Amino acid sequence: MQRLTIDPITRLEGHGKIEIFLDEDGNVANTYFQIPELRGFERFCVGRPVEEMPLLTNRICGVCPEAHHMAAAKAADAVYHVDPPPAAKKLRELLYSGFYFTDHTTHFYALGGPDFIMGPDAPVAERNILGVIHKVGLEIGGKVIQARKYGHTIVEMIGGRKVHPCTSIPGGLTKGITEEQRKEIEQMGRWGIEFAQFSIDLFNKIVLGNKAYVDLIIGDIYTHHTYYIGTVDEKNKVNFYDGKVSVVDPDGKRIGKYAANEYTEWIAEHVEPWTYLKFPYLKKIGWKGFVDGKDSGVYCATPLSRLNAADGMATPLAQEEYEKFYSTLGGKPVHQRLATHWARLIELLYAAERIVELATDPEITSPNFHTIPTEKPTEGVGIVEAPRGTLTHHYWTDERGVLTKVNLIVGTTNNYAPMSMSIKKAAEAFIKKGVVVNEGILNRVEMAFRPYDPCFGCATHSLPGQMPLQLTIRNAKGEVVEVVKRD
Amino acid sequence: MKTLVIGLGNPILGDDGVGWKVVEEIQQRIDDPHSRSAWQIANHYSLSAISHAEQPSAIEFDCAAVGGITLMEYLIGYDRAIVIDAVITHQPIGTVSLFRLNDLPEHSTLHTSSPHDASLQTAIAAGQAMGAHLPDEVIIIGIEAKKIYDFSEELSFEVEAAVPRAVDEVLLLLEKETHYDLT
Repeated sequence: MQRLTIDPITRLEGHGKIEIFLDEDGNVANTYFQIPELRGFERFCVGRPVEEMPLLTNRICGVCPEAHHMAAAKAADAVYHVDPPPAAKKLRELLYSGFYFTDHTTHFYALGGPDFIMGPDAPVAERNILGVIHKVGLEIGGKVIQARKYGHTIVEMIGGRKVHPCTSIPGGLTKGITEEQRKEIEQMGRWGIEFAQFSIDLFNKIVLGNKAYVDLIIGDIYTHHTYYIGTVDEKNKVNFYDGKVSVVDPDGKRIGKYAANEYTEWIAEHVEPWTYLKFPYLKKIGWKGFVDGKDSGVYCATPLSRLNAADGMATPLAQEEYEKFYSTLGGKPVHQRLATHWARLIELLYAAERIVELATDPEITSPNFHTIPTEKPTEGVGIVEAPRGTLTHHYWTDERGVLTKVNLIVGTTNNYAPMSMSIKKAAEAFIKKGVVVNEGILNRVEMAFRPYDPCFGCATHSLPGQMPLQLTIRNAKGEVVEVVKRD
Repeated sequence: MKTLVIGLGNPILGDDGVGWKVVEEIQQRIDDPHSRSAWQIANHYSLSAISHAEQPSAIEFDCAAVGGITLMEYLIGYDRAIVIDAVITHQPIGTVSLFRLNDLPEHSTLHTSSPHDASLQTAIAAGQAMGAHLPDEVIIIGIEAKKIYDFSEELSFEVEAAVPRAVDEVLLLLEKETHYDLT
């Protein structure tokens, strides 16, 4: 059996590795997607006061610290049985919308977009944000940096510092915002709406206007029929910060919604011998292996999943784009994974609109941003939608609020099974007997998981420096017969 | 000339947080009135302030758990950056190395690139293309790390022992009035 190794995966958090095993004929026999798990977080937390968790957990991940901050804050609220006042919830959601705005912008222009803007066969040296800027224009590059700056500024104003917010505590926030800050945020949000619309237009022009890309998106290679989950508000519209988690089947039918404290009734975890990371699946359906279909408990939690699991978007412009999305792609649900990039841009527009909505809410400058907890702390669950999927924090404490147990299901973990399936399917489609495995082929395999934007390290870990993608082909004796390397 | 000294890493992930420890140690030494280095840096401040009155020299310190584009954004407005980070280059644990950003393909650090956006080199090139004022010179102080997958606030023994050496390297760079010639 031949063995191909893609190690490490470029532009992917944590030190991931794809191993592709070929049979004697040179076709793909199996693929394994492995990630070394960071160890000992629970042990690290036990014995600390629960109110430290919003600060500690945002150190788990260098990519979405704001998401961990929010999930931890909500779990700590639940532990103390305290409901933050409306202004606190709105401020947290406003901060969170600013974070989404930055994160989704970055993904499109720096990570997902280059495959389309530069093309899947473009040299890796050009398939990055620098290449994108040179192709679409310096002015647009400036807008991307501006968009990120605005998102960071909103996080800093409400969260006390940029990137790693520190103001959420059980019962609300330690500070509010002034009228001046509110005005500034509103202006940034209005600019953001235009920027998001511009980004969607760019996607329409570059991607949807290119038949080869449309064929790639709607083709079978990047398609999987699975369940989808995503948080919705009381009207079943997408919400990033609060609500219930909606679960829909591969036909798009909602099979239920669960509140944060009900997650263990819905989600279970499967263990495989070849990886430390567990595979979450829908408990009510059961684990049937890495397979598509209604009988398989495999689910997906991504921007695409959130759109599929909801009845629409809560803001008008995003709703228009939502309708266009489904009418173009043939109705709900959309199973084509590459459409996730488009779904992410619809969420970008929603985030910008939500910033304006919240910044113009009369309550947003209210000084009533904290409720002092009075109940004895016990146990609590907090759920938010991280950009990369539903994020669940579950804490147990003693009567002093000191942690005795911690469980987290991070955004990306949800997608471990569907991602593994996507990689296998793409590898099977592109790596065959007689096919020369070149960089374009490798990139098409990577494109299978890039829509998920996996973040397995879920720490501040990045790949070391410039790590070229290396693919090693070994014969049945384990001897290296060919090495394909990116420089 | 404005210099940023920035420690990178995750402060709760064992050796990964060594960059933070080095920067904290430098700040402590500077605050210590008996430290020779503190005197030299203070002297450096005032000398530069006199000789380049219109553009006073300044050294700022920061710690961050970021990479790629976000790290580039941290560097905007500085003329020079000294980045302290954990590295895995298969040298003895605790080895302190010094290299320029452009040498990174051979001398990787754990945080100068972010697979969620771009490497620092690409991010700086993109930032410069868009007209941002970014350092002409980015110097990396890398400390060879061992335990980077276990949550802990403690450094490995060898890495802890390397902290004073890394601090000396940074202070040496700061004490030079001109750009440090690495060749």
